[in-house]
Amino acid sequence: MISIKQLDVIRDEKVLLQGLDVTFEKGQFWGILGRNGLGKTTLLHQMAGLLPSRNQSIHIDGMPLEAIDIQARARQISYLLQIQEPCLDCSVSQAIAMGQFAWQAKHNEAEAVDELMTMLKISHLKDRSLLHLSGGERRKVELATCLAQKSPHLILDEPLNHLDCVYQQFLMRLLVKQSQHQSVVMVCHDVTAIQAHCTHVLLLLAKDCYLAGESATILNDKNLQRLFDD
Amino acid sequence: MKQGLLAGVVMGGLLLLLVVVASLLLGPVSTPINALIDAQNPLHEIIWQVRWPRVLNALLVGACLSLAGLLIQNMVKNPLADPYLLGVSGGAASVQLFFILTATSLSANLQVLAGFAGGFAAAMLLLKLSYFGQIRTNKLTLNGVVLAFGFAALISMMLALAPPDQMKSMMFWLMGDLSFVRTQWWHFVIVGLAGLLLFRQHRPLDILSRGELFATKSGVNAVRLNVLVFSLTALLTSVAVAQAGTIGFVGLVVPHLMRLLVGNKHQVLIPMSLLGGAIFLLTADTLSRTVMAPIQLPVGIFTALIGVPVFLWLNSKTP
Repeated sequence: MISIKQLDVIRDEKVLLQGLDVTFEKGQFWGILGRNGLGKTTLLHQMAGLLPSRNQSIHIDGMPLEAIDIQARARQISYLLQIQEPCLDCSVSQAIAMGQFAWQAKHNEAEAVDELMTMLKISHLKDRSLLHLSGGERRKVELATCLAQKSPHLILDEPLNHLDCVYQQFLMRLLVKQSQHQSVVMVCHDVTAIQAHCTHVLLLLAKDCYLAGESATILNDKNLQRLFDD
Repeated sequence: MKQGLLAGVVMGGLLLLLVVVASLLLGPVSTPINALIDAQNPLHEIIWQVRWPRVLNALLVGACLSLAGLLIQNMVKNPLADPYLLGVSGGAASVQLFFILTATSLSANLQVLAGFAGGFAAAMLLLKLSYFGQIRTNKLTLNGVVLAFGFAALISMMLALAPPDQMKSMMFWLMGDLSFVRTQWWHFVIVGLAGLLLFRQHRPLDILSRGELFATKSGVNAVRLNVLVFSLTALLTSVAVAQAGTIGFVGLVVPHLMRLLVGNKHQVLIPMSLLGGAIFLLTADTLSRTVMAPIQLPVGIFTALIGVPVFLWLNSKTP
């Protein structure tokens, strides 16, 4: 369970979102909707501990996020980044195995990686170099790395980017399945996908205005109109 | 993986031994192989008093530069990065030249120490300039390049002011020369400890190569690891520069060669870079003092003459 209380989302000294209260629980599949630059990625960064947040506003299963050391945190939360950082080369299977680092697992590494690759339909990429993949293939590898982390919480920043429509459908169904034993939180601009698959929605409208709750009640015409109003 | 590492180390070790023996036997005065152990042989002295210290120095400096290059390329994720990006060579050379210019007489050991201190201080200045709660690697790259220009200006000024008879000792620091000072036992302890420390961190180093955010979200303390990597790079480069001046190309090309030869895992890359750098520089130095004997050419000519074709060939073999 990730509980957020009175969180201010701040980037470069500027307050993007104010006083956010929301709790992400196991068995829930959250979609986060909001316009560009509203602070969605910064929020996810803070939830994953990549950016500091003030006065202990984020708790993982009752523990303040800052109190958990980096390696233990990675056992709790896996995070699919939106943007690829500059990096050096390695093979796809090496890349996915990096997801297991937090557990220091010496055994069954290769098998677990193979299983994940089969599950995500990327076994054919096994020995390919990471830097020679297409955008969509790279995205699938990053996703597999997150799943290899085997954490109870899964945070995804625009997971559908670069993926073809067939795989988008497949991924959404996979995430629904994952949400049975992980709490899944996803930032996504595809309202239809969120409507069809997410159990809960966090609708970010403005700096101090948001709605959170079950998607059936939140995603009504009136609220969506507010989201799309220019 | 374990077997691959073992095979690589054994092969590298044998090659290293071969190059060391060749380097001891070759020179303006060619020596028979039994002079290596036969104390009665008049050439025994030449081998162990003249050539051996230089061989040791080449091994040390080659290993230092190559490992430092591996680290800095992994840290800034830029294939063009080399250890001198940290401003170490500029800092060391400026301090050295200043002492020579002001005719401060220092013993050889103190001079080396001053060079080391100057180099390390320059790196720490760069760290200070590029540290904002964490090392900002893009700032570091830019600051490093700009600092190098600043040092180059200082060096040019001192060269312009220097009387002709001081020029020769000044050029040593700028061109690189392995015959100037001897190695001490603690040099090898530093390299060994740095190598061991890094080897223990081989998985975090692999993960760091994927980016800092990726590393942090995967459970690696990237901020701390970057500081460790930076400090060790600065230390190794300062040792190399203090021992031999600025020898180019080793720190740039050997890590690339090793990546092409043995892949991307630091478990293998760290020992192989140490070995590869030592072999590479010793080969280059042996050639530099034998090809045009008795004239000794700057070793930097041969690091480039060997490195460029080997690298271009290997790079064309891989996709």
